[in-house]
Amino acid sequence: MTSPAPVATSLDEAIAQLLAGSLREVLAESPDGSGLGAALAELGWGEVLADDPAGATTLLFVEHGRALATSRVLDDVLLAELAPSLPPPGAGTRVPFYPLGTAAPVTPGAPLAGLLLGGLDGVTEVVVPVMIDRRVELALVPAGLVTAVARPAGGFDPASRWLLVAGVVDGLTERALPDGGAWERAVAAGRRALTAEIIGVCAAALAMAVEHTSARVQYGRQIATFQAVRHRLSEAHVAIESTRSVLAAAWAAFAHPDGGVGAARLAKLRAGWAQAEVMRHALQVCGAMGLSLEHPLHRHVSRAAALDALLGGHRALTAQLGADLLAGADLDPVVQI
Amino acid sequence: MTAPAGAPTPAGPADSPRADGPFADGPFAEDLDAYRLALRDHLRAEPALERFRDRRYPSTEAKMADHSRLERLLYDGGWNRYGWPSAAGGLGGDERHRGVLYDELAAAGLPIPGQHMLLETLGPPVARFTPDLAAAHLPAYLRGEEWWGQGFSEPEAGSDLASLRCRARGDGDTYVVTGQKLWTSHGATATRLVCLVRTGTPESRHRGLSMIMIDVDAPGVTIRPVAMANGDNELAEVFFDDVVVPAARLIGAEGQGWAVAMFLLQFERAMYAWLSAAEALRRLRELRAQLSTRAAAGQELPADAAPRLGEAYAHLVALRARSSDTVRRLAAGNTVGPEASVDKVLLATAEICLHDTARDLLDDEFLFATEEAPAGDAPATASAAAASLAAESSAQVAQWRTDWWFSRSATMLGGSAEVQRTILADHVLGLPKETKP
Repeated sequence: MTSPAPVATSLDEAIAQLLAGSLREVLAESPDGSGLGAALAELGWGEVLADDPAGATTLLFVEHGRALATSRVLDDVLLAELAPSLPPPGAGTRVPFYPLGTAAPVTPGAPLAGLLLGGLDGVTEVVVPVMIDRRVELALVPAGLVTAVARPAGGFDPASRWLLVAGVVDGLTERALPDGGAWERAVAAGRRALTAEIIGVCAAALAMAVEHTSARVQYGRQIATFQAVRHRLSEAHVAIESTRSVLAAAWAAFAHPDGGVGAARLAKLRAGWAQAEVMRHALQVCGAMGLSLEHPLHRHVSRAAALDALLGGHRALTAQLGADLLAGADLDPVVQI
Repeated sequence: MTAPAGAPTPAGPADSPRADGPFADGPFAEDLDAYRLALRDHLRAEPALERFRDRRYPSTEAKMADHSRLERLLYDGGWNRYGWPSAAGGLGGDERHRGVLYDELAAAGLPIPGQHMLLETLGPPVARFTPDLAAAHLPAYLRGEEWWGQGFSEPEAGSDLASLRCRARGDGDTYVVTGQKLWTSHGATATRLVCLVRTGTPESRHRGLSMIMIDVDAPGVTIRPVAMANGDNELAEVFFDDVVVPAARLIGAEGQGWAVAMFLLQFERAMYAWLSAAEALRRLRELRAQLSTRAAAGQELPADAAPRLGEAYAHLVALRARSSDTVRRLAAGNTVGPEASVDKVLLATAEICLHDTARDLLDDEFLFATEEAPAGDAPATASAAAASLAAESSAQVAQWRTDWWFSRSATMLGGSAEVQRTILADHVLGLPKETKP
């Protein structure tokens, strides 16, 4: 038996802290991610990422989540996996399309339903996964065609700067190229990154809730001394920590016959579940203050919910996973000693 | 449990703990992957193991007796001896070997012998604090000839263990034990009981406790099984009436009982969680098969069958991901501290979810189907075959009912759900302490 690839360990603890500190500064200054590319280059990120993909990706996306940043760094994660199946982008800029639901490829002729992580200004092509004859192909769609059916994704998380795409885009089949499994790998890579990002948002929300309940006094005592409050915070902690463990398992799962695709889905599913738990508890213990516009908690609640919907919401993925099991899929133990 | 890397090289084979003889380590002690593969092949191919698959027992006593035979088979092949020191009947290796044993048994559709639940919590402290006691009794435990119960709780000391009152009075080379234990795990079937007793003053709380091993057939020991809601005699009430116990049966020093219990807790949090997760994955596989059989027979499954199964599986994998890491840390010699309460909460969540899923998806059958006696011989006619299938199905559902009740204890035994959350709040999140009324 081959042992799984080493995970998230090669990044030295001290260096990781240093990098996290730098990222935190950059993202605090420009949450829209405008300074992120230059900062990453300055940090020698390419090398860090090559040395330890698990550690580096997790670090970056945890900080991205903590800062509620809105950069398109996730696009880069997907594009890195899609690139080998696509012609060189030339002078243009390419972005991937994020189907809603379980992130399944689009059926030609059917209306698109999905998201883009930002505006289409300066974008030349949108990569859309298409299901043709039960095979996944990648359609390179001129941005102009997508603009016609895209509008700002306001709703629950107005700060996201995402676009909601809803409507028919013609000619997908004609523009499609064989994907060679790239879409599945891109989704898995995106799910691992998003899991880390959701962990970051949740950890920040829990820290806020701990701080609030340790300071707020009612009945003559800090409300964090009440068992009901303490236990909610403990449950939030359990949800976050178990997501960290599943994420580590997902990174370790490359040796698995499916290349870690199943484990990445599971990690994202658990992250989505965790954000629902953490936010439910955090909102309750912060009381009305957490519901107010001036308190930052609400932005974490909205962002975590939006991130849950990206590349498969936890409820959709849970149903999909269960349907696979009922259809006879292996009950993969995922982890072994 | 193996000699640490860089340990001094023994002068010669005669002094080496690895030399042939009664204290030799086995060939897999240093090679976990080879152990895993050899074990996997053995469990798959060994015909003597076949009869332990899909077995349902009429009582705890019958189950433990049959599992002791399974234990013996595993011992004879050397399989359950890895992870235990050679001086105590083992073949060397560490906790990871035990973890692999549980995982491979479950993957092969075999039960993990019930004896291991308490072997995992009681074996390590006995081996660590009293090697002589381990050498005297652990080999028999591994052979399935004896097993131990855990006597911690008392009528007035459940979650608040430090308030226990069962007393051991030193008297020369012996202790005289008087008092009562309640909820003693495996108390109804065990040969010996490992008990936490008070050797200090009544007010000494956790400082005045000691751990001691008592034979159930010692004069003055009375055991009354406590029938649980599912009919099992998993637990017992134990009375000690001036029971004389040799001082050599003390595990750790007098007054060190709380420290020994804390050491023991690491194994309960790490190993018991992993063992339970392995077994739970086997049970989920069986549930999926049972649902598929029903669907294939034209029975409509509840509308939420898919998400419920998906949820139960996801909880289990999350538990495995966390627990495997804790087992590895323990095997590496790290102390597993308060953060292991996360593992305990995940275990309880996964257990409760799995068994609620089974109950809800088996639906009316779970609630109302009476267990039918299995047909003796191979069915000769179509109607006999149908009857045989129905009997099998009713036995499966009956097993889920039994297990459902046991799963409810996941949030109680070994520190209740409330205790775990309080440990995390106090020691991991660092919240201000709960104020006493």
